[in-house]
Amino acid sequence: MGRDEATTRTEIPPGTLYMLILKSLARLGPMHGYGIAQHIQQLSDEVLQVEEGSLYPALQRMLIKGWVVAEWGQSDNNRRARYYKLTPAGRKQLTAEITEFEKVMAAIGRVMQPA
Amino acid sequence: MGRLAEVWRRLLFLFRRRQLDRDLEEEMRFHLEMKARESGAAAAQRAFGNAALLREDCREAWGWRWLDVLASDVRFALRLMRRNPAFTCIAILTLGLAIGGNALVFSLVDAVVLRPLPYAEPDRLFYLWTVEAAAQRAMNTSYPDFRDWREQSHVFASMAAFSQWSFNLTGGGEPERVDALTFTPGLLELLGIRPALGRTFRADDGSRTALLGYGLWARRFGGDPGAIGRSVQLDGEAYTILGVCPAGFHFPPNRFSGDPEIFVPLVPNLDRTAWSLRVIGRLRPGAGIERAQAEMGAIGRRVAETYPNERRGQGIKLDAITAYVAADSRDTALVLLGAVAFVLLIACANVANLLLSQGAARRREIAIRVAIGASRGRIIRQLLLESALLGMASAVAGIALARIGLPALAAIAPERTAFFTRVRDNGVHLNLTVLAFTAVVSLVASMLFGTLPALRTTRPRADLARGAGSGRLRGALVAVEICLAFILLAGAGLMINSMARLMAVDLGFLPERLLTMEVGLPHAKYPNEKARTAFFARALAGLEASPGVLSVAAASDLPLERALSTGQIRVGNPPVIGRAAFHAISPRYFQTMEIPLIRGRLFNAADTAQSAGVVIVNRRFAERYWPHDDALGKVVVVYGVRVDLTPEGPKLRPAEEPLVVVGVVGDVRLIARDAPPSAELFRPYTQQPQSGMSIVLRTAGNPESLVEAVRKEIWRADADQPTTDLKPMQAWVATDVAERRFVLLLVGAFAASALLLAAIGIYGVVSYAVRQRTQEIGVRMALGARGRDVAALVLRQTAVWVTAGMVAGIASALGLTRLLTAYLYEVKPADAPTFAAVAAALAGIAVAANLPPARSAVKVDPLEALRHE
Repeated sequence: MGRDEATTRTEIPPGTLYMLILKSLARLGPMHGYGIAQHIQQLSDEVLQVEEGSLYPALQRMLIKGWVVAEWGQSDNNRRARYYKLTPAGRKQLTAEITEFEKVMAAIGRVMQPA
Repeated sequence: MGRLAEVWRRLLFLFRRRQLDRDLEEEMRFHLEMKARESGAAAAQRAFGNAALLREDCREAWGWRWLDVLASDVRFALRLMRRNPAFTCIAILTLGLAIGGNALVFSLVDAVVLRPLPYAEPDRLFYLWTVEAAAQRAMNTSYPDFRDWREQSHVFASMAAFSQWSFNLTGGGEPERVDALTFTPGLLELLGIRPALGRTFRADDGSRTALLGYGLWARRFGGDPGAIGRSVQLDGEAYTILGVCPAGFHFPPNRFSGDPEIFVPLVPNLDRTAWSLRVIGRLRPGAGIERAQAEMGAIGRRVAETYPNERRGQGIKLDAITAYVAADSRDTALVLLGAVAFVLLIACANVANLLLSQGAARRREIAIRVAIGASRGRIIRQLLLESALLGMASAVAGIALARIGLPALAAIAPERTAFFTRVRDNGVHLNLTVLAFTAVVSLVASMLFGTLPALRTTRPRADLARGAGSGRLRGALVAVEICLAFILLAGAGLMINSMARLMAVDLGFLPERLLTMEVGLPHAKYPNEKARTAFFARALAGLEASPGVLSVAAASDLPLERALSTGQIRVGNPPVIGRAAFHAISPRYFQTMEIPLIRGRLFNAADTAQSAGVVIVNRRFAERYWPHDDALGKVVVVYGVRVDLTPEGPKLRPAEEPLVVVGVVGDVRLIARDAPPSAELFRPYTQQPQSGMSIVLRTAGNPESLVEAVRKEIWRADADQPTTDLKPMQAWVATDVAERRFVLLLVGAFAASALLLAAIGIYGVVSYAVRQRTQEIGVRMALGARGRDVAALVLRQTAVWVTAGMVAGIASALGLTRLLTAYLYEVKPADAPTFAAVAAALAGIAVAANLPPARSAVKVDPLEALRHE
């Protein structure tokens, strides 16, 4: 991930990329890779930078795992684009990832609480 | 479920890789375009980075990258092999021959040792033998004993007794002697064999019923299903055909005398001393061999105690039939496998040497690959892959060669061994087992010959280390080849030596121009001694008068036929009890065989059934029982000498008979060429009539030319009388050493290959060394070295390797040739002359292989060599 150390944007925390992609797709419906990246950047107020070098391999792995399926469709500007769509398995995975994430966040929160 | 779906999706990705790749590319393009709109083309491109690398990363996610890498490596390796056809051909040919040899020998091992016998669950089948108390020999069993065993045993689910037999088959075509098997009902069921047609015996079937072997049914009845219910004439009596055995059914699996084609119910002989049956049992599921051994041991003791006077032994021995059948051939098979494995090792050493030379030539290519980032492991992987491909190609070549060699191998399988019977019953095939073995062998070989060169070629700073280091490695490989070749040659040499000694053995008779046959008279037609004697007298007279026949005789058995009958004798006062081989012969037997008469007289027409009992003994007999006395006029008492085999079962001759020695004849090799003569006694056949005799003719010319005339002459004596084994005595003589010859042929062929490969190996290494040292040689010559010095320089180096290999070879051979003891005759496994001859041969070959490169070294032009600097 992130070869560009000079950027002011923050790297995506390890292990959360799947969750972010899944959540984006859950919210947006079918979407292409560029759209997913844009979505994550915008909602995170440009804090989270999704590198192409991470996004596309991750999408390929998710295809293999069966969390998403890909279809060619028409983009807003009338270009052929590859749209990713959440599958039921992907939805289940999202729930699982969120639960896990919340557990970790809560734990970190407890550790970081002022004594 | 989820994992399975994932695997499925992965496979889908594999097969649609091309499409997916295009998708990915378009997707990237789209992404880049969108980004360019946002921040300008150059910035987008910069942010996007290396598109090719990204696509690679994506493909890696599919999990098939290794396959792409492998495919490209394979393509590269194949391109290399094509670009270097001479190297490729030599390597594939060398390895292919060696692998083919391994496949051939392993197909033998598979057929003879590994493949299960063609019966149901053969692992549960056991032979049961009576163990003779004195000799601890496994012997046949009598019917009453068998019945007791069967009734008292619990570990065996079923048990059957059988005995090999033969009949004269008449009616519908030429009379024919057919091998038969008589057995107690239930044998086929015990073996798990169903008849192809009709049914097997039931307990209430009469004794005049028969099953036909498939081959006999096809031959005599044209495969007509209507044969069931008809009858066949066996020894002149009608037997009703109940069924036909399935094609490919053979029993017993190890039969060194005949292949039964007629099956008749056993007529029980209630004499407890008629030991003529073999017993087979099927263990109950769950019953182990130990339990079976214990139970049968107890039964054996119980029966022995009940009938103390009629038992010849105490124990019962169990043999798993699979092991029993292969027993005599397993060691031979292993020796052959070991020998051919050595050939493969030598071939591997040769190819390794070739690869080392190749590696030197490829160092540039490898250096470049390393320079652009390939790791050493990656290059080693590539080189090993090349070796594996070479190995696979050689395996294909080897299998093709083995296919060609297979029929020849099957044809020389020696009779009277499991090699012969099992190869004939099972066939030798390049089946899946053999192919799998070959694949594994070729892969192992690939790693053997590939690893060292791969490590050496990719060694860091190989350019600096190459000179001496690589030379030493090659030298070591040559030494290994010499060592292996020495072991093989020593083995072959010892066997050749043994064979020569064996062939020089005086048989005691003259086997050339002798024609032999067997004639068995049916009991129904020849019910008494007079009729039988009359037949043989008539047949012998007719044959004697035939043109081309010098002399003719009949004998109950002939030397080297291994149809030995021995009996107990008593001589002298106080009496000495002993054993001797018994023969009944016609008067002209010794003249016909050309066995010398040493003392006394031969039998003549005056020795009849009515005249006094006479006997001729051989020299061994006379020396053993009257070492200080003249044998002539002495009395030999014989007991129930010969078991008369009749369809009702064996009948024993009762009482003792005193016989007067009238002559002493020379010893013959009776059982086998390598077996020392035994005590023999001969009686006139008029005084001990036989239902079956061998007839032997001394011919003026080639005995085989008389075969038809002899058969017709026998038919003149009795038109329904078949002959068996009508063949020259030399055929028996050849059969006697057939197994030795078989092993010798194979080991000899392997040793010759080893020698050739070693020579090629030395030649290759020395030539390479000379090429490498051209400049050095040039300098030396410029400085005044003469041709002789240069040649010595080349030879000296080889001499070191060859000597090292030879020393290792002698040491290993001393240990290994002991395994050959069973194949040696009057030669010690560490026979010094053989070892010396082998060493000389190898040294000679080494020098010969050195000559061409040494000559080219001498011819080096110093100017030319230095100019190349």
